[in-house]
Amino acid sequence: MAGKTEAETADTVGLTINPLELPRRHQLGLLGLVAFAVLPLAAPVEAIGFISSLTVLQVTGALFFAVYVMTWDVVSGYTGEISFGHALFIGVGAYTSGMLNVHIGLPLVASIPAGVIAASLAGLLIGFPSLRVKGPYFSLITLVTPIILLRVFVYFSDVTGGETGLFGIGTISLDPVTNYYVAFALFVFALAVFLAITRSDAGQILTAIREDEDAVVSVGLNPAKYKLFAFVLSGAIGGLGGALYVHTYAQGVATPSETLGLVLSIELIVATILGGIGTITGAAIGGLFFFLVRTWLRNVEVTIPVLAVPVSELYFLIFGLITLGFLFFLPEGLVPRVLMEAKRLRGRSAADAQPDGGGEP
Amino acid sequence: MVNAANLAVNVLLLGALYSLVAIGFTLIFGVGGVLNLAHGASITLGAYSAYYVTQAGASIWIGAVAAFGLPALFSYGMYKGMIRKVAGHPITVLILTLVAGLVIEQVFLVVAGTQPLAIPALVDGQTQLLERGVENNRIVAFVLSWLIIGALFYFVTRTKQGKAILAISMSHKGAALVGIDADNVYAYTWLIAGALAGIAGLFLASFLTANPLMGRNPLLLSFAIVVLGGLGSIRGSVIGAYLIALMDQVTVTMISTRLSGVTALVVLVVVLLVRPEGLFGRELAE
Repeated sequence: MAGKTEAETADTVGLTINPLELPRRHQLGLLGLVAFAVLPLAAPVEAIGFISSLTVLQVTGALFFAVYVMTWDVVSGYTGEISFGHALFIGVGAYTSGMLNVHIGLPLVASIPAGVIAASLAGLLIGFPSLRVKGPYFSLITLVTPIILLRVFVYFSDVTGGETGLFGIGTISLDPVTNYYVAFALFVFALAVFLAITRSDAGQILTAIREDEDAVVSVGLNPAKYKLFAFVLSGAIGGLGGALYVHTYAQGVATPSETLGLVLSIELIVATILGGIGTITGAAIGGLFFFLVRTWLRNVEVTIPVLAVPVSELYFLIFGLITLGFLFFLPEGLVPRVLMEAKRLRGRSAADAQPDGGGEP
Repeated sequence: MVNAANLAVNVLLLGALYSLVAIGFTLIFGVGGVLNLAHGASITLGAYSAYYVTQAGASIWIGAVAAFGLPALFSYGMYKGMIRKVAGHPITVLILTLVAGLVIEQVFLVVAGTQPLAIPALVDGQTQLLERGVENNRIVAFVLSWLIIGALFYFVTRTKQGKAILAISMSHKGAALVGIDADNVYAYTWLIAGALAGIAGLFLASFLTANPLMGRNPLLLSFAIVVLGGLGSIRGSVIGAYLIALMDQVTVTMISTRLSGVTALVVLVVVLLVRPEGLFGRELAE
């Protein structure tokens, strides 16, 4: 490992002075980031050998996905207003930037910010009902909004590309390594922003809103302001992610299933539940893990004997069943549980026990 | 004229079917405050039960019994096995029903594949109605749907068990005070809801076809229906079902089939924002 200097460059949170003095879990997190930073240099990646089909391209996709998952977590995991249609923000960002680029010929430097602005507005638009409509009713609104948008897209398919998607959008680069670093930069940026915000007073208030909104009002704070802030922030970064995704990883193609579909929204929730709801690092790790395992499952060529169905078709079923298991037996998610267990182990034995598996995958 | 007659027949029939789906959905919400996102899975389950029974060589009427019974058991099992255990966490319940519904869809995708499957009609032949031929199958489905809705009305307003459902959806504490076992009422409400959705699934599959994702659209429509009619209100659900069916059919015939379902969803969002208690609902309890 390249050591301290690498760690400091990779860590843009800017809170650290000496990585050696940090708690063990933060050291592991930094180490994980460093590993991601040097990953393309360590080609052939197969040498790492934990998943043989793992490539730079797949990790790029995983980094984007992890960003999406974090944007869901910062709204729904923290404020408790469960959004079933988070892909809306990603789709709005991706399609705004894509359509402006294709139809008007706007360069990417202008179209990407436009996508971010449009997605922030979408965040505002979804955020406002959350002030009035609570709990399951709000979830219903978030569930149907992307479906309405998708139907409208299909209706105006000459402009939007309909269900097959919008093709021929400009790209930042076609080089996998450059794209990897775009995704990595976005990942670190999103992680830093979300960690900073959720560890600040605003983050405390968001958590307080989830626990008891009346209590927040009673101390003279306006929950509406904080909720809208979370929605706009989440929309903006989700939109940025969606736009960059289309201009890099997706190679200039925006499809509903990859940026807007219901399945994507659900996958974000599933990944957060696995990683740990209401914890940004848990969401990031859950997102990376989910995407890579999904990719791996899709490439498995084993066929289930009795049903004669390849495992690759079963990935969503498998994740669905795992999620049901998590909801029952591990509702707080993997990362918080591992950290807690590690703490417990260390507390029990004087010998400083090694937290196992607490780092990034 | 033919167009209008066509529209009227479609709306009459679809309204009855949507009512079946929406009543189950709204009953579950009324008693337990649970939005059952796995309700669409009961529809699919009903259609596929009937399909497999007829494939095994039995008559479609035996298939109809299966379409009634299996989703009821599934729905009952879901309450007893899952929902009851996490009842205190509304967010978990919501995600749980969603994931459970998706798992059922995936199971049918894997076992039966994506291709649409045909189910034999309950009865053959056509009848002249409003200057146009209407399949007897549709008429039977319409009559059966209304018989079931009528029976349900009777059950809920006249029998002790049915009144218990109403009592619980009005006030949990009040119901507990007069000795109603809430858990028991929840359980048979889920059972009834599953059966209603299953039979709707059978009808839908016998007019069109069965496919693993067939439960999604009716589920989305029933969101709109129950929100429009007022969550927890049976009468509101029936009226809402007819309103939504009318709006949807008008959109499809006048504008484009590609906009099928969009009007309903727009209505849903608008009603939630403007009048969240719906046309016939009580004030939200939350």
